[in-house]
Amino acid sequence: MKFTASLLLLSSILLSGCSSLGVKPWERDILAREDMALDNAPLDSGFDDHIYFSKEASSGGKGFGGGGCGCN
Amino acid sequence: MTVKQLQKAKSKNIRGLLSTATGCLLGASTVVQAQSEAGWETDVAVLIYNETDRVSAFEPAISFKKTYDDDSVLGIKLVYDALTGASHNGAAVSDEVQTFTRPSGNGSYATQSADVPLDDTFRDSRGSASMNYEQPLNRFDKVIYGGNVSAEHDFTSMSGSVSYLHDLNQRNTTLSAGISFEYDQITPEGGVPVALSEMQVNTNPQVRAEDSETRTMTELLLGVTQVIDRNTLVQMNYGFSQSSGYHSDPYKIVSVLNADGSLDAANGLNGTYIYENRPDSRTKQSLYVKAKRYMQGNIADISYRYMWDDWDVSSHTIDTHYRFNMESNWYIEPHVRYYQQQAAEFYRYSLSNTEVVPEFVSADYRLGDMTAITVGAKLGFKVAGHANSVRLEFYQQSGDETPSEVDSLILQYNYQF
Repeated sequence: MKFTASLLLLSSILLSGCSSLGVKPWERDILAREDMALDNAPLDSGFDDHIYFSKEASSGGKGFGGGGCGCN
Repeated sequence: MTVKQLQKAKSKNIRGLLSTATGCLLGASTVVQAQSEAGWETDVAVLIYNETDRVSAFEPAISFKKTYDDDSVLGIKLVYDALTGASHNGAAVSDEVQTFTRPSGNGSYATQSADVPLDDTFRDSRGSASMNYEQPLNRFDKVIYGGNVSAEHDFTSMSGSVSYLHDLNQRNTTLSAGISFEYDQITPEGGVPVALSEMQVNTNPQVRAEDSETRTMTELLLGVTQVIDRNTLVQMNYGFSQSSGYHSDPYKIVSVLNADGSLDAANGLNGTYIYENRPDSRTKQSLYVKAKRYMQGNIADISYRYMWDDWDVSSHTIDTHYRFNMESNWYIEPHVRYYQQQAAEFYRYSLSNTEVVPEFVSADYRLGDMTAITVGAKLGFKVAGHANSVRLEFYQQSGDETPSEVDSLILQYNYQF
C-alpha cells in the first residue's frame, strides 16, 4: 500500500514535471520531420531485432520482443 | 498558376490574388490528400546476412501502409528468410577429431581437431506475415492492434497484441500500455530429444520423446514519450515478459569430458554428448530509454537498454545513429551498437564426467558471457522522388571460448515506391 502510494506520488511528480516541458502546437515543425520519427526506418529495425534476437540472449525493450523464430 | 499570371493578378487586385492563391493551396492539398487516401505506401528491402564459415541468410521484405480518412492506419509486412550454412552444435572444441549424429538421426558429420563443431545440415526457410492497425478513438487516445504469424519447417509462431496510447500536456507527453500474447510450436527434425540424454551413434536409435513441444509468452510494455523542446524527443519503456513451456534448443548438445579435458568415447561416438536442458519458464524485464535530437540539420539518435531475467542473464545495449543530412536529399548515417551480456546461471562450456550432471545445462554460446559490436553506415538518396538506401555493417561477437567468436556482414538495400 505504501509502495503504491509512493509510486503514485512519484508518477504525479514526474508527470507534472513533464508538463513544463514540451512545445506549443505551432512549434512542431522539426518534430514532425520524417527523420525525427522515433522509428524512422521500421524495415531496418525489424531486420535488426530479428538478427539480435537470434544471436543474443536479449530481446525487446523498444517494443514487444517476441520470438517468431526457432533460430539457430 | 504561372509567375506571370501571379504578377498580372498582383497588379490588378490584391484581394483577388489572395483568394486565387488560397484556392490554389486548397486545391493542391486536396490533390496530395487524394493520392495518400487512394494509395498504399510501399517499401521493399532485401537483407543479406553472412557469418564467416557459419550461417548465411537472404531476406526479402515488403511492407504496405495505408492511412484512412478517419486517420486510422493499416500496416502489413511480409518477410521471407532463406537460411543456409552451419551452426555451432554446442560441443566443445577438442584436439581430437569428433563425430556427431545429425539431428534427424540419419547420418553423421565430423569436426576436425581444433575446429568449432558446426552442424552443416542447417538449411531452412521462414515466412512471416505481420499486420497492425492503429485506430484513433478521439483527439487524445488511440489503440493499436497487432498480429504476427511465422512458419519454418520446424517452428511455427503466432502472436497478437493490443496497445493503448494517451496524449496529454498539449500532446507533449504520450503514455502507452500494451499487452502481447505469443504461442510457439517446435517440431524438431527427428523428434524432441529427451533432455540430458546422450547422443547415440547414427546406427543406434536416438533417445527421443515427443514429436513436438510448445511455448507461450505474455508480455507487458509500459511507455512514456516526452517532447523536451523543439529539437528533442525522449522515450522510456519498461517491459515485462513471462514465458512457459519448452525453452531448450533441441539441436544443442553439451560435451561431457574426462577430467583432463579429453574426449570420453561412448555410445559408438568418440565423445560423450548430452542434449541440453533449460528451465521451462523464463521471466524477463527491460528498461529502455531513447533520445532523438535535431542538431543543425542532422539527427542524433541514441538508445540504451538494460535487460535482466530469472536465468541470471543481464545485458546492456547502447545503440547510436547519427544522420548527416546533405544537399539534394542525400544522407549518410553511421551506426555503432555495443552489446554486453552476462551468462545464464546454467551455461557451461562443457561438463566433466566426474561431476553430477546439473538439472539445467546449456553450452549454447548465446547464453554465455558475450560482447558484441556492430559498426556500419547507411547511405540514403532519392532517385526520381523515390527514397533508396544502402546499409553495410559489420557485427562481431566475442566471448570466453572459440565458438563465441562470430564475424558477420550485414548488407541491406531499401526502396520506397
